[in-house]
Amino acid sequence: MTTAIFDVNKRWSEEYPELGTDPVPTEPCISPAYFELERERVFRKVWLYVGREEEIPRPGDYMVRNLKACRTSVIFIRGQDGTIRGFHNICSHRGNKLAWEERGSCRNFACKFHGWVYDTQGQLVGVPDEAFFHNLDKAANGLIPVATELWQGFLFVHMDPQPAQSLADYLGELGQRMGSFPYADLTARYAYQTEIRCNWKVALDAFSEGYHVNVIHGQSYPDTFTGKNNPMCHLPEVRFYGPHRSCIVYGNPKHKPSPAAAVAYRFGETVTKRSAAQDQLPPEVNPTRSAEFGFDLDVIFPNLILHVLPGMWFTHQFWPLDVDRTLWEGRAYWPPATTPGERFAQEFNNTVLRNAWLEDTGTMEATQEALSSGVKTHFHLQEQEILIRHSYKVLEDYVGFYAANGNA
Amino acid sequence: MATTLPKPFADLEVFVADWSLATQRERERQRSASTAGELTTLYQVLLPRLDAMLEYLNQYELDRLPAGAKRLFYLSLSFAEIAPFVECYKGEPRVPNSFDESRFIAVHADRLP
Repeated sequence: MTTAIFDVNKRWSEEYPELGTDPVPTEPCISPAYFELERERVFRKVWLYVGREEEIPRPGDYMVRNLKACRTSVIFIRGQDGTIRGFHNICSHRGNKLAWEERGSCRNFACKFHGWVYDTQGQLVGVPDEAFFHNLDKAANGLIPVATELWQGFLFVHMDPQPAQSLADYLGELGQRMGSFPYADLTARYAYQTEIRCNWKVALDAFSEGYHVNVIHGQSYPDTFTGKNNPMCHLPEVRFYGPHRSCIVYGNPKHKPSPAAAVAYRFGETVTKRSAAQDQLPPEVNPTRSAEFGFDLDVIFPNLILHVLPGMWFTHQFWPLDVDRTLWEGRAYWPPATTPGERFAQEFNNTVLRNAWLEDTGTMEATQEALSSGVKTHFHLQEQEILIRHSYKVLEDYVGFYAANGNA
Repeated sequence: MATTLPKPFADLEVFVADWSLATQRERERQRSASTAGELTTLYQVLLPRLDAMLEYLNQYELDRLPAGAKRLFYLSLSFAEIAPFVECYKGEPRVPNSFDESRFIAVHADRLP
């Protein structure tokens, strides 16, 4: 592992000169041509997170994800053998959509068109009036698979049924670093989602820096992520792992709780309380156990942000629907409350978090609308927005838009 | 006056009809349909009682609250819903300069107490 830097005054461009300091083009956020390349060269070519293993705990449990970025819908189902598999949600007969509910549990799937039946492992097991087909090989006409793999209970999909790279190799050193956290024990889930009329990167970028905290969260989190030693929410640590990236967001050890927060602190573990749950953190996250640690923020390329802190974890995910439409999903996971007081504390902290997410998402549609005019050709990024710089560079490495069309 | 709340909290009975709500969805709706004055009043009355309320509730297991205690518990969760609006946004019932909350779908909110 590399040496830990915990420095709120670090100029990150000096640490990572290969990312440059020039303004970054806005075109990737508004160009339909760029979007089509992202679809073909990114979303159909890499591992994508789709949900937690606990969402389909029993054999026969399934969930359907409409992956418009990959132009398909996928059924994830736990087979009678206990293994989770993924299949394109399409009948092998004449292409009808097989599963119509978002989630459910079944012994088998029967197509609503002509009644072809598939078992929980994707095998074609029933064809009405089978004798009148011509040389139909049932064994070769099961559901069309995609690749699925698990990392710490996180279910990922790859459109290539036999991907060149395993999920563990894809996540690489970041996966190793973030592996030892009790994700599966923190199961009290608060889940929000909405369709936002913006490019998926406009949404991703807004959650990839701390520069906005004073302005957007000035009322909701006035002194939680900023303090006397770090008034601008500078990032004390930034790291890159191939296409993935991570940073630490500052936490103010002298944060003064509001009167309601003070009650929540007394009765439960909270997002803003620095506590004994520090020990849950993986050893390489905040290795010096600095009291100024807020949370670890990890962007797993292309569209997932995982955040880990003592006592909870949360994710943001950004699913492109079109060049200017995105499905955003925010998920917060807490330990299951054991007392009414803990439940109250959890509810209070989640309310503050939800309000902050309403603030975060509040700028996105207006930004997209303004960008779509095309009059502003470049973003100006400062030192503390270096994750965004890395994001556009990695994306272009996959997409090759400017390599083919000349510089922006 | 008759109380549906545990005796030590009988004086809070006036809030039960509007705020002793069983799901997060209902509490969100009630909050966003309230005025700054209503939220501030609820906050100011409940805040000094909150420690006592939660200590009282903590004598029970979370999933075995008697009916009166459950109503008190729901009232405490309404406080959790409205307090940030009073503390951060001067009682405004909606987050200022934010995304349209009616389009923000809380997937969990119909079943969570």
